[in-house]
Amino acid sequence: MSEPISHNKMPVMIGIGEYHVGSVPMMAIGLGSCIGLAIYDRDRRIGAMVHIMLPESSGRTDRPGKYADTAVPLLLNTLSNMGCHKSSLVVKMAGGACMFEYFGNNLNIGERNAEKVRAVLAENQIRISAEEVGGKSGRTVAFYPEDDGKVTVRSADGAAHEI
Amino acid sequence: MDAMQELGNIGAAHAATTLSQLLSSTVEMSVPKIMTVDIAQLADHIGDESAALVVFELQGEIPHGGYIIFYISRKSAVHLTNTMLGLTDPDRPLSEMDESALIEVGNIMASAFLDAAAELLGFVMIPSPPALTIDMAHAAMQSLIAQMQEEINEVMLFSTELFCEEHKIDSDIIMMPETSTLKMFVERLDNLMKPI
Repeated sequence: MSEPISHNKMPVMIGIGEYHVGSVPMMAIGLGSCIGLAIYDRDRRIGAMVHIMLPESSGRTDRPGKYADTAVPLLLNTLSNMGCHKSSLVVKMAGGACMFEYFGNNLNIGERNAEKVRAVLAENQIRISAEEVGGKSGRTVAFYPEDDGKVTVRSADGAAHEI
Repeated sequence: MDAMQELGNIGAAHAATTLSQLLSSTVEMSVPKIMTVDIAQLADHIGDESAALVVFELQGEIPHGGYIIFYISRKSAVHLTNTMLGLTDPDRPLSEMDESALIEVGNIMASAFLDAAAELLGFVMIPSPPALTIDMAHAAMQSLIAQMQEEINEVMLFSTELFCEEHKIDSDIIMMPETSTLKMFVERLDNLMKPI
């Protein structure tokens, strides 16, 4: 049985473009086309979470967590510097919805975000263990490193479920 | 900044008047707020509660000028359409008929807001065809911000609360212009304020 303790702690709220590393619960609320990416280290029982908004940084460096191409290396390097090994990482992601098909100036940002995350992880020889992406609905994602790296996803009218 | 406040004021006041006519009831409005919000802190202003958002792109002389949004909580949305459709059950699920009614209200209010703002500014601003979502409010706003033409870390929100006590309706009209649109606002308003 998992300890329910971690659920009672206030989660760290991760805003658009922000990230956090540690063992406390973390949460990214109301993801539309954004991606919530959680990486958990089974050995050290810590993790990192980032709230990605766009696929490409195009050379911008001020907010690495905002873009898929810089956010993934950011988390991997941060965890690596803390002594985490690639082989013990569990990666989960959620988000990447398309809520407004009509305003299609930038064709499906959500899908492009998810593809970029997958591509950069693949370059680093890391596979995704679980994902819940796409569709038309928003999601709130929570990550509990102390609870075996549990990741839950909730939609507007649903209860949270584990992925 | 005073002139910007006036712009928000005129737009929201016209939107409030149309809502009042539509409901045949008194509609009050809050003091219009103009907020510069860092996207990382968006959740402090707009949460993941379920709401209906009727969204329009700002078009006209500026092709992709930003967005104007009629925002109404799910509960208030039912109260609003009940009033319009002559229904009474406050706990019923929203149907296609409600969606059409919400889009219509959004349309009328966004047009009223933009007409008034355009008249003050002296350039044409028209709303695009509407898009409706009934979902997490933050997710909808975030999706719009991700689609903005210009790369930004902050957005400026012109936000005014409109409420009708009689029918228990609480809503917001929110304009979120692109940076280039804001610059045009400032230029036009500066010219207006210049002594002749």
